[in-house]
Amino acid sequence: MKNGTIKILDGAMGTRLQAMGLPLGGIPEVWNIAEPEKVTSVHESYLAAGSDIVYTNTFGANSYKMSASGYTVQELISAGVANARRACAKYPGSQVALDIGPIGKMLSPLGDLAFEDAYELFREQVLAGKDADLIVIETMTDLYEAKAALLAAKENSDKPVYVTMSFEANGRTFTGTSIECMALTLSGLGADAIGFNCSLGPEELTPMVKTLYELTKLPIVLKPNAGLPDPVTNTYNVSPEEFADCIGELLPYGIVATGGCCGTTPEYIAALKRKAVAFAEEEKRTDLPAKREVSGICSSTEAVWFSEPRVIGERINPTGKKRFKEALLNGDMDYILSQAISQVDAGADILDVNVGLPGVNEKEMMVRVVKELQAIVSVPLQIDSNIPEVVEAALRIYNGRALVNSVNGEEKSLSSILPIVKKYGAAVVGLTLDEGGIPNEAEGRFAIAERIVNRAEAIGIPRSDVQIDCLTLAASAEQAVVAETLKALKMVHDRLHTGAVLGVSNISFGLPNRELVNTTFLTMALQNGLTLPIMNPNSDSMMGAIRAYRLLMNIDKHAMAYTEAYKDFVPAKAEAKPGAATPAASVADETEAKIRETLGEKAAELYAAILTGRAERGELLADEWLKEGDPMAMVNGVLIPALDTVGAGFEKGRIFLPQLMLSASVVQGVFVRVKEFMASSGQEQVSKGTIVLATVKGDIHDIGKNIVKMLLENYGFTVKDLGRDVDPQVVVQAAKETGAPLVGLSALMTTTLGSMEETIRALKEAGLNCKTVVGGAVLTPEYAERIGADYYGSDAKATVDIAKEVFHC
Amino acid sequence: MVKLRPINKKEAALYLGYGKNEPDQVILNLMDECEGPLMEACHPSFCYGIFDIELCSEERVVLSECDLELTGKDIVKLLTGCGKAVLFAATLGAGVDTLMRRLQVGSMPKAILTDAMAGAAIEQICNDFQEELAVQFPDLKQTMRYSPGYGDLPLSIQRKLLETLSAGKRIGLSVTEGNMLTPLKSVTAVIGLRDIKNEEERSRIRDMALQDATLNAELSVGDCSKEACAGCAFAAKCHRKEN
Repeated sequence: MKNGTIKILDGAMGTRLQAMGLPLGGIPEVWNIAEPEKVTSVHESYLAAGSDIVYTNTFGANSYKMSASGYTVQELISAGVANARRACAKYPGSQVALDIGPIGKMLSPLGDLAFEDAYELFREQVLAGKDADLIVIETMTDLYEAKAALLAAKENSDKPVYVTMSFEANGRTFTGTSIECMALTLSGLGADAIGFNCSLGPEELTPMVKTLYELTKLPIVLKPNAGLPDPVTNTYNVSPEEFADCIGELLPYGIVATGGCCGTTPEYIAALKRKAVAFAEEEKRTDLPAKREVSGICSSTEAVWFSEPRVIGERINPTGKKRFKEALLNGDMDYILSQAISQVDAGADILDVNVGLPGVNEKEMMVRVVKELQAIVSVPLQIDSNIPEVVEAALRIYNGRALVNSVNGEEKSLSSILPIVKKYGAAVVGLTLDEGGIPNEAEGRFAIAERIVNRAEAIGIPRSDVQIDCLTLAASAEQAVVAETLKALKMVHDRLHTGAVLGVSNISFGLPNRELVNTTFLTMALQNGLTLPIMNPNSDSMMGAIRAYRLLMNIDKHAMAYTEAYKDFVPAKAEAKPGAATPAASVADETEAKIRETLGEKAAELYAAILTGRAERGELLADEWLKEGDPMAMVNGVLIPALDTVGAGFEKGRIFLPQLMLSASVVQGVFVRVKEFMASSGQEQVSKGTIVLATVKGDIHDIGKNIVKMLLENYGFTVKDLGRDVDPQVVVQAAKETGAPLVGLSALMTTTLGSMEETIRALKEAGLNCKTVVGGAVLTPEYAERIGADYYGSDAKATVDIAKEVFHC
Repeated sequence: MVKLRPINKKEAALYLGYGKNEPDQVILNLMDECEGPLMEACHPSFCYGIFDIELCSEERVVLSECDLELTGKDIVKLLTGCGKAVLFAATLGAGVDTLMRRLQVGSMPKAILTDAMAGAAIEQICNDFQEELAVQFPDLKQTMRYSPGYGDLPLSIQRKLLETLSAGKRIGLSVTEGNMLTPLKSVTAVIGLRDIKNEEERSRIRDMALQDATLNAELSVGDCSKEACAGCAFAAKCHRKEN
């Protein structure tokens, strides 16, 4: 069989226009209207050289970049399409591609552009370019932005869409996306072809094209630069012939269209055309590597393939967890995020996210939690909800390819969840229950599993993307059924050939020493085909079982991971090594002696642990205290005096910020224990009052504000943290709602001090009786006074003192 | 690829307010602990362009073949006598931002140490660039690195400066609505290049460079001359001034 035709794309546009007089930093798209002949002549030169498809001169034609152009997006894109169309008129069969490049500012959390706003910008471009023959989304370095553009294209046009991203020599984009993550995410979202353009030459892209070929079933688009640029002259180092030779070698690897990016000219395109024409007549190669069949999910930076057992962390779930419920109700994001980090640190490969709780708007909370989670952890997420609107909202804003937990055998679930999974290209967990409940026998569960897989395949979700959950029932209630679950697991593994999920911990519900039962069941289930255990990764014995299983099954080659995990292993009964050395700071002081006298030795030890920044020791002592003592006596008798001592040292310049924060983080850890204790014993938490904190509009540096927040919370204040880049009206609203007597504002740059002033004015105009305290690197007391702030907080400690004054404590 | 050398912890300690004091062993250990993840998260890169100065008078600097105009008295003062100006942009990359967000949830002490060390790292990238530039142009003396927002050089030129360098495409750098650079650990700057006319002046400058090098070896502090303080927004609270 012959190879057949490959479409030839065009070469560089921007540099050609610069050669015709466009200044550096000038707006190329303006020439669509100001110099249409010149733009058209560039298109013509490529068509004459052999291009089948030309990209419109609309790379940056979005309303953000064009704001200073004097034209609308519609005007520039219409003119751009018309120019290309005019050039194509002389070349029958040639096509016009609407070119869409990056917006030019970063999406949140890296920058200040919301995903939804990025979608709107792209939507405007897609609609303005409706007369083009296809859409190309190119030079993307942020997978999230590529997703917004692809969604906008798919939802507002029925034209084919190519998406190409730009990679660095390390095989990742600027924002850390790997080829695997690109392939998984964009294939799932329905791109017609994906690939690479810009940033590197054909030689550097060669291994990447070969990798992508194995990872995707989609055709590949390739538009490299003419080699690498000279940093000063910006000229490129690969000749047209070398360029074409190099790409020629890659044509068998699924290439559907190829052209050139920066530094390429019609000569490059002509050389490429000659290669493609010759290639079309050659016999198809049969020695290419096989495509990867196994499925996987990913975040924007990390892919997890379902080729071996992977741990799904179960802790982001309010079921049976009082403290977590409380965090959801109060919107305590830090607690939720800390649960994520501790699971990832313990070895979770994927995190389950379940935020369903009466009194909480599940859809809003899910979107918020997913956005926050993907900003700080790189493991992929499992969206855990059976409400279609919640699943859809989460998948839409998820940066990567998620696993959905779950669909089940009920018709209502199949018909509502599967189409969403398909649209957003996710993978899905199928629960073996239906209108009749959970069948006791393995055969019944298998039948439901088979039905789910068939329905998924019928709408285009491959079997490899379905992960069956045979459902764990508590051994204490359904002892005989445990064996059926394991049997169903084996049937699914042997006969359906899908992956398998199980919520492992349910097995021990109602039994003593749950971990023992969990670990044993986990091992049995793994042996029967479990690939995705949902469990607590903070359980050493369960994680140990996974590691040992991977070792024994020859998955963990040469026991590398196992050895790494246990290289410092000390048998449980042996004496643990003593903790880190005490820092140089003197700990024996008068306060300590006084605490020893009035509250005892343990209290004095806790005080010393805070001063010396020993978190583990501090938490251990706090736990001991909470067994019998009054938590508030500990807070007021030990924590606050310790913070005061550290704070006084800081003020005097004897202690520096890192030490202050080290002590503060010990107190924070102790406070977590106190809160958990009070939640579980049903006690009201005592707060010294509420303070609203925000980094002002236009400012995205918030570490200073976070330092202040931590210290205020240490002192028992409730902090309503509005985050960074906060609009004045949002501050006003929060101050109103909370009735906070004090509002703290932070700004790093001189340019954002204006927003600070504006926020203070807005608070006053709203007639709010609150005081304001301002801080930040460039602020001075004089400036604080000038913009009408009540207080100037020179640092975190000073801000705490101001809060104490305002709240009279 | 731009290479990052081990991070100068003395420099980081300066940012943390230590002045002439040394961090204690606990903090130094914690810094060591933070260094690995930071180095892993850093993907430093920079880009630059060298432009002829067409006009440099009163409150305006015009560069040849480029749409960017530098405005203000201070930039004119800096570039007076320079034949060329270097536009420069550098970043540690987006990975550091992600690391910082994560650390601020997980451990604030590590977050502030990493933040300070990242500051020292970007400083190192900038200094290394200037040294390379000095080797490349031995007969041209560089002015200090002058960034948008210093003195009366408006921060609002940030976007145009990045566009002129195609810094978005080349190193993934962009600005927010408030003209802040993203990724956060990034620098843009203008550096003037002045012809060194006679041999006498050349040797004088070489001596100065030697002195600078000694100072740098000791502190690895960038070009923080008095000239720099005058335009620096952080001057009032600068910890370096004590040194």
